[in-house]
Amino acid sequence: MAKKIGVYVCECGTNIAEKVDIDKVITAVSPLKDVEVVGKHKLPCSEAGKEAIKQSIEEHGVTHVVVAGCSPKQHELTFMNVCEQAGVNPYLFQLVNIREQCAWVTPNGEEATDKAIRQIKAAISRVRYHTALEKKEAECNPDVLVIGGGIAGVKTSQLLAAPDRKVYLVEKASSLGGKVRRFEKLFINMESGSALIEQELQSLQGNENIEVLTESEVEQVLGFLGNFEVKVVKKAEDKELNFNVGAVILATGFDLFDPKGLPQYGYGKLDDVYTSLEFEEMNISDGTTDGKILLKNGNPPESVAIIHCVGREERGYCSKVCCMYSLKFDRMLKSQLPAAKVSHFYSELCVPGKSYQKFYEDTKGMGARFIRSAKTEVTSNQKGLTVTYETETESKGDLVVDMAILLPAMETSSDAQKFAEMLNVPRDEKGFFVEEHQLLSPVASAMEGIFVVGCARGPQNVAESIVQAEAAAGKILSALVPGRKLELEVKTSEISETFCTGCKTCIDVCPYGAITFEERRRISVVNGVLCHGCGSCAAACPSGAAKLKHFTFPQLYQELEAVLR
Amino acid sequence: MNAKGQKAPVLVIGAGIAGIEASLLLANSGRKVYLVEKTSYIGGNVIKLEEVFPSMECATCLITPKQEELLQNQNIELLRLSQVETVSGSFGDFTVKIKKKASYVDSANCIGCSACFDPCSVEVDNEFEERLAKRKAIYIPCTGALPSIPVIDTENCLRFKSHECQACQEACMFEAIDFNQQDEELQVKVGAIVVATGFKPFDAGEITQYGYKKFDNVYSGMEVERICASNGPTQGQILLKNGQQPKSVAIIHCVGREEKGYCSSVCCMASLKLSHFMKKKLHEVKITQFYSDLSIPGKAYQKFYEEVKESGVDFIRVTVAEVSQSGKGLSIKYKTEDGKESTLAVDMVILNPALEPAADSAKLAEILNIPQSEDGFFSEKEPDLTSVATAQDGIYIAGCAQGPKDIAETVAEAEAAAGRVLSLLR
Repeated sequence: MAKKIGVYVCECGTNIAEKVDIDKVITAVSPLKDVEVVGKHKLPCSEAGKEAIKQSIEEHGVTHVVVAGCSPKQHELTFMNVCEQAGVNPYLFQLVNIREQCAWVTPNGEEATDKAIRQIKAAISRVRYHTALEKKEAECNPDVLVIGGGIAGVKTSQLLAAPDRKVYLVEKASSLGGKVRRFEKLFINMESGSALIEQELQSLQGNENIEVLTESEVEQVLGFLGNFEVKVVKKAEDKELNFNVGAVILATGFDLFDPKGLPQYGYGKLDDVYTSLEFEEMNISDGTTDGKILLKNGNPPESVAIIHCVGREERGYCSKVCCMYSLKFDRMLKSQLPAAKVSHFYSELCVPGKSYQKFYEDTKGMGARFIRSAKTEVTSNQKGLTVTYETETESKGDLVVDMAILLPAMETSSDAQKFAEMLNVPRDEKGFFVEEHQLLSPVASAMEGIFVVGCARGPQNVAESIVQAEAAAGKILSALVPGRKLELEVKTSEISETFCTGCKTCIDVCPYGAITFEERRRISVVNGVLCHGCGSCAAACPSGAAKLKHFTFPQLYQELEAVLR
Repeated sequence: MNAKGQKAPVLVIGAGIAGIEASLLLANSGRKVYLVEKTSYIGGNVIKLEEVFPSMECATCLITPKQEELLQNQNIELLRLSQVETVSGSFGDFTVKIKKKASYVDSANCIGCSACFDPCSVEVDNEFEERLAKRKAIYIPCTGALPSIPVIDTENCLRFKSHECQACQEACMFEAIDFNQQDEELQVKVGAIVVATGFKPFDAGEITQYGYKKFDNVYSGMEVERICASNGPTQGQILLKNGQQPKSVAIIHCVGREEKGYCSSVCCMASLKLSHFMKKKLHEVKITQFYSDLSIPGKAYQKFYEEVKESGVDFIRVTVAEVSQSGKGLSIKYKTEDGKESTLAVDMVILNPALEPAADSAKLAEILNIPQSEDGFFSEKEPDLTSVATAQDGIYIAGCAQGPKDIAETVAEAEAAAGRVLSLLR
């Protein structure tokens, strides 16, 4: 079928017309090949303007449309809709920005006019090579897999589960609740962590839309947003479960940095040097000491040193919550052993937000001592432990104590590596999962449909972990609506089976994990659901097999050639 | 769900980054959203920033796609120049009265060409630019503000002071200026409410020892953000009052921390960001940071601090700092933790103040019947569990309206509030 191109030039009141000579533009582009009609309008984006373009398209049997006006950010969609209403596929259209790129920035009228003509010529050349593209939809499964049954995993499951949405909550341990279950108190309200967990689990039990799989491991996750196939093994029963979900939430929590690697603290060698989690365990009412804070010799400590930032230097980040829970420890010590002397050895006090400083001041007011120390060491003496410290001004001191509690840095949990590989979710140099966007998309991973919440994405406190759990639920509830299909990106990449040499270069450069390798045919294949149309593969492909729809080489070269001619 | 099978709409108050994110998630799920914003623009405090930490991305580039998505979303009704007047009812069935002030510019006709600004003879301080620049009585707050539809400031417009001026109307080619527009009272029914009214910086002038608004070249953090902004009053040129580039700059942290009684969480990073930015723009500048405790929590911030420190920025831990004028410049007298007193002469001082809740928070708390902390931040129901739920079912809070926080935490809370609404409001 013969191409008939309609070109419509916008005057934008006088915004374009006072700089760009519209009539000269029309004279210049009218004789070009396939140009059927050239029109001008004072304001094509107005109702009257849109109607005029629509009528012209219909009257002249226009097959391809070029509008020269403002930024595509402003009105590309407007004119794509006009095309559609006039029966022209909206991708057989090109918008030329002669306002922001010509009229508003080029001071000389003749130069602006010349520039506008070149850009419109380029668009005319390009649009001739456009092909009709259709919007596509994909079926999606609204169910969700939650990996990790700590507080974040439990909370997100509660929000997500509904009669039309099933949640599979997989936990490798024999019970849910994660680390919070073993916290006797939570800062700042000093309520019981284990009681909180019990309460949450009770409400979980009554929920028939949540399938809790404890002592279970996720073995395989294949697929993409809306369509993941999951394999879980129930270890105790040696039973394999297979099911489908639309999204996956990673809530795999944290481990502590191992202080054995830092001999100056004496951990693992000296009695009565504990990590923070060991101290939590000592306080839990059904723990090894029935909730009593005791030394190895069975006596309660009279003096305790709390040493902050253990491993901060090695790990290269501040773990955010240690200052606050050290203050909680201080209060737990004071309430059980009112006479005990507690000294904090810290470098920087991190008490961010509206309520933490007051908690610190109140705790300090109860008699806690805070010593800023740049270098702290723990050694043994006949009576107990000696903490040696060095202030920033290099004055040294030491203090004899009965017990030392180390606050080690938080690290990502030991199975993060496994899940990173299984789900193809990138991690940062510290091992934490990386966000889709550090600021704007904090709980989504770079893999669409896979979310990361709580300490799996970095050190967080309990409230922050829960907020992130709720945030992931929000993202999923917004995107995966039961009964609704997924709208897919139209301008995706495709790889020609004939030209693909199977070199896999495209797989390495794809930031969305949208390309997989098909072993049978030895070629790369693009998943249209995951592809965002960034074009990285098309640029990187050495054999020209990968091409991006709407940005094909003929389209780009024709455009370039015309603008430079 | 109502009788027609439609899901209940949601009211979002505040169109900063939190309000935008919450609105988008709610609207994309298929719900109608009323987004109420008291100013004429969307983007809140974030669009005032030139760059954001720690990635040093351009803030405008960061947020513009979100703004555009919001403006194009058919499910979102943006009500600019609007404020919530009353709220009655309960979760699932709130009735909200909104007062929408007239902008006197018809958004259907206006194309944002700005032809109306020049002929306006009124010049007043531009609040958006921290009063470092002027604007007309018909204006948009800054280049690139969205929506790019101006408003008439009736307090300063001559016509509203009973003069015969119609200069802007004459200049408009699209008959967009309508002096007969009236304020409107709207009533909407919503199932839930998300409050995202953000923050304002503590007024450094309340503390006399820093010489703010008394000495030249003593600026607040937000003023410097605008000075650094490429669309700001100096197009991003960092200059002293005398037009010269500063050779030495002091950044004072924690301004107002003692008065407010809390750590504002983001100011250390914001100070590091300004240092990073200035070092890039003014290679020879000597920057000294006066701080008490470094709050750089989380996996990514310490690396940024180390980079800034390595670039030659000095950090001095102080218990007291005081700014005075000395000769043509400024002098900082400070005391370190060991009690020693010293002074440092600088050309420019930047005060990084505490974050406070937005100005009308108390009124809004009363309208919504939700409690506030003693500092005026909206209170969460269970501080140790989640920060987004309030004592009122169906009313959620997100972002700095709840307490000082960074952009990522703000966005997460907005998404969490949306999550609660989408889960609980069936």
